[in-house]
Order: sequence, then structure tokens, then C-alpha cells
Amino acid sequence: MFRSNLPGICIAIFPKGKGCDRLIQLKNVFMEFQDGHKVLNNINLTINNGEFVFLVGSSGAGKSTIIKLLLKEIEPSSGSIIVNDKDITKYRRKEIPFHRRNIGVVFQDFKLLLEKNVYENVAFAMEVIEAPPKEIRRQVPIVLSMVGLSRKAGLYPHQLSGGEQQRVSLARAMVNSPSILIADEPTGNLDPEMSWDIMKTLSEINQRGTTILMATHASDIVNGMKKRVVAVENGAIIRDEKRGGYGGEA
Amino acid sequence: MVRLSGMKSEVGTAVKLRTGKFFIREGLSSLKRNRTMSAAAITSVVAALLVIGIFLVIVLNIDFAATKLESQIEMMVYLNDGLSENIIDTMNTEIKSINGVKSAEFISKAVALKNLEKKWGDNSYLLEGLDGDNPLPDAFLITLSDPNKASSVAMSVSAISNIEKVVYGKEELAKLLSTTYVLRMSSVVIILILLFISIFIIANTIKLTLYARRREIGIMKYVGATDWFVRMPFIIEGIMVGIIGAIAATAILGGAYFYCSNLVKNQMIGFMSISLMPFNQIITSMMVLLITVGIIIGAAGSLISVRKFIKV
Repeated sequence: MFRSNLPGICIAIFPKGKGCDRLIQLKNVFMEFQDGHKVLNNINLTINNGEFVFLVGSSGAGKSTIIKLLLKEIEPSSGSIIVNDKDITKYRRKEIPFHRRNIGVVFQDFKLLLEKNVYENVAFAMEVIEAPPKEIRRQVPIVLSMVGLSRKAGLYPHQLSGGEQQRVSLARAMVNSPSILIADEPTGNLDPEMSWDIMKTLSEINQRGTTILMATHASDIVNGMKKRVVAVENGAIIRDEKRGGYGGEA
Repeated sequence: MVRLSGMKSEVGTAVKLRTGKFFIREGLSSLKRNRTMSAAAITSVVAALLVIGIFLVIVLNIDFAATKLESQIEMMVYLNDGLSENIIDTMNTEIKSINGVKSAEFISKAVALKNLEKKWGDNSYLLEGLDGDNPLPDAFLITLSDPNKASSVAMSVSAISNIEKVVYGKEELAKLLSTTYVLRMSSVVIILILLFISIFIIANTIKLTLYARRREIGIMKYVGATDWFVRMPFIIEGIMVGIIGAIAATAILGGAYFYCSNLVKNQMIGFMSISLMPFNQIITSMMVLLITVGIIIGAAGSLISVRKFIKV
């Protein structure tokens, strides 16, 4: 009982994540498909509360697999994945939704509902976890203003630019106040200017205490942000630098 | 502690009510949004229900006729000659108390002779040769509450003293009972088969609407909706499709039946004693059954097809 409350206390005492370690921990994680193809080869990675981490590497290096493992979309062949002091590989199917409520996700293709407007897209994320309507009416405008879309709440995705659409998806990911935000190539479909816009918003979210893990190919962004960089190649971590760059080959 | 749990359950009810509203709203709006697919799903429900409904009409009519026949089954109990009125009265109460006897009517030999005269009509002069000597026995005419109990009733009646003979169409009755039994059982089996076929047709149609909406399901799963939460709007949508389809099918089938039963009534007068179940008697059971079946196939179809998309 006490253990399960620990991360909560941690966040309460250290809102910026300082001094409170190990939000995410991958220990000796192997991932092998049934045909024998090895995707991950002994991954050991610790991400602390409040960190901003870039996950870089060429396509097929294993970035997406790591993200899928964290969301518990797939199971590792062996090893443990600890999030908030709990081994998520031991979760039963019924517990997965509650695990995901603690993680916000944004994707390269935004994944917005085209027939819902901006406000409804964001509110949807609260509705499906059965949040009280009062809470929804209070929380949605707050996150919309956080991503700078207060004035566009009534517009539909096709009326927005790519950058704005990605900000809607950011708002949706953040509306339930998750402690972790996973961004899978969030700037992949955006031009450089919009990309930097998104990065600015991500930094702000990070400064409010949310841990961010961002998989990306965008070398200029990684080099410009000067954050921790974890490079994956052929299913193994080949580099992990505190204030790193994208690396030579790309 | 008690107070706490009470509060919790109140909150729980509020959550369920609100969630229910969300499901119905989502179900309705997606029904409107995906008009073409909804129309396709409703059409296949109507088609499936029409097939089931036509069969149902046949079964109900067979059952109607069988029940009518079964209720007409009678048993004659012939008595020994020269019994006093007292004895006959006691026998009457004794027979009436037997389980399975609906009614018992005493027919004296005099009445029986008169009935015979009436029956023979012009030929009744033949009876004059009896010279007032009535050879017919006194009898009881028994109607049964349940034709299945005929043999046990016959046994109980035979056990009473002063009974000469118990007569009923034993073999005919057995044949009728076994025929109606087979008809009823096979109709249940056929309806079940039709039900399964329809569920799979509906499931496939709904699968197409779901395929168009797998993105929405994916998002729901990513933001942490539980499996049931993802399923419910689709199930409600399936139920709505089922109800709409059932109402349409009932209207079509009911109209057709009304027309046909009038036709049969007008043509068969004095011909054969074919009687269709009356329209207002059949329409209620038809509506109730079709709507129930509609709801079942809609919900089951959704449930089956959503299974594939929910594994994210």
C-alpha cells in the first residue's frame, strides 16, 4: 500500500523531479520476434523524474519498440520495465488502461478525430477515462491555453496547420496530467519553423515537471536543445550523453 | 467507514449515469455520421429479421393449430349399467378431482340416444327397431387440461369402480403429440441457426464501420480507456441498429401478414377449416420477438467485431 503511493509523494515533494530518481527503468530488456529476429538486445536505461530525453537512431534501430514497450502495447521477451516503481510487465490486461493514463503520447501523424473540433478532441481524452464534466470544463481550457490554442477551440482539424494540429494532440496528451510524455517523431510532418514551435511547447511542459521521452530523426533539433541523448542502433544503446548532440552519421 | 462507502457508491452511480449518456451520445452521433454504413447494417438486420420473422410466423401458426387440435382432445368414459344417481354423482366428483381433467360432463344413456338420433338424421328410423330398449351405456365426456396427461388420466379413471371402458384416440393423440413436439423442437433449432447466421452477417457489416473507425478506437486505448469503455458505444450502436431494423422488419412482415390473413379468410369460407392465427394476436409476439432478436444480433454482432480492433 505504502509502496504504491511512493511516486505520488515523490512528485508532491519534488515537483521538478529533482532528487527523486528513476521514473522509468528498463532492465536487461530483450525483444525477439517469433522468427528469431532480434529487435532489442539487452537494453538498460534509466530515466529520472523531470528529465527531457531524446531517443535517436536510424529507422528500425529499436526506438519505436522501446516506446511500444513503455505503453505496454507489446511484451518484452525478457527483462523488466519499471515505471513509477512498478514492473509493468507484470500488469494484467485489465490494468493497462490505468497504466496508460499516466503516460501522454503524441505521434507523427497527430491522430486527431477529424469530426470533432479542437475542444472536443481534447475533452475526449478526459471523457473516455470518465472524468467529471466539471473537471473537463475546467481542465480543457487550461491545456488549450498552455499550447496556445485558446482561440481555435471551435475549429476542426482540417482548418488547422500541421503545427496547430500537433499542438492539439499535445493538449490531448497533457489534459489528464500524466507524469510522462512520450513523443514519437512529433516534428516528423512539420516544417522547421513549426517544429521549433512544438519544441518550445514541449520544453515548457517539461519545465512544469513532466518527464519527456522524444524519439526523433531531427538532428538540428537534438543538437539545438542540448538535452540528454540516448542513441539506439541495432537494438542496443550505443551512446547516452547528458547534454548530447545527434551524432555524426546523420 | 460506513459513511465513506455510502458516498463512494453514490459517486459510482453518478459516474455510471454520466457514462451512459456519453455512450448513447457517441452511439447516436456515430450512427448519424456513418450514415451509409449504418444504412447497410440496418438493411442486413432487416433482411435477417425478415427471414427469421417469416419462419416465426410459420412456427407460430403451426403451434396455434396444434394447440387448437390438442385442446379438442376428448375422452369417453363408459359406465356399467344400472348405477344409482348417488353413485354417478360420487363418480363425477372423483373424475373431476383427477389431475389433468379440465371438465367432465355426464351424458346419460337417454341423452346419448337422442344425440345418436340427431346424428343419424334421416336414418334415425333404424333406431326405432330398438323398441325403447336403449343399448347405449351412461358415460362421462372428459376434456383434458393437458393432452400429455391423457394416459395417466385414463389409468386413474379406469381405477374407479363401475367403469366399463375408457376410450380416447390413443394412437392419434400420440402421433399428434410427437408431430407437434418435433415441429416445435426443429423450429427452435432452425431459429437458433438463423440467429447465428444473422449475427455473423451483422458482425461483418459492423466490422466495416469499425474498420473506418479503428483510429478512434486506437486513440481511446492510448489515452487509457478501459476495454469495456471502448466497446460500449459500439454495442449501443449495434443495439440501435438492431431496434431500427426490427421495427422496419415488423412493419413489413406485419403488413404482409395482415394482407395475407385477410385473403385467406375471404377465400376459404366454407372450404376447409384452415385458420391463420389472427393478426392482432400474432403482431404483439412478432414485434416483441423481432425486437428482442434485433437487440441480440446487434449487440452480439458489435461485440464480436469490436474484439479484433480492441487489441491495441
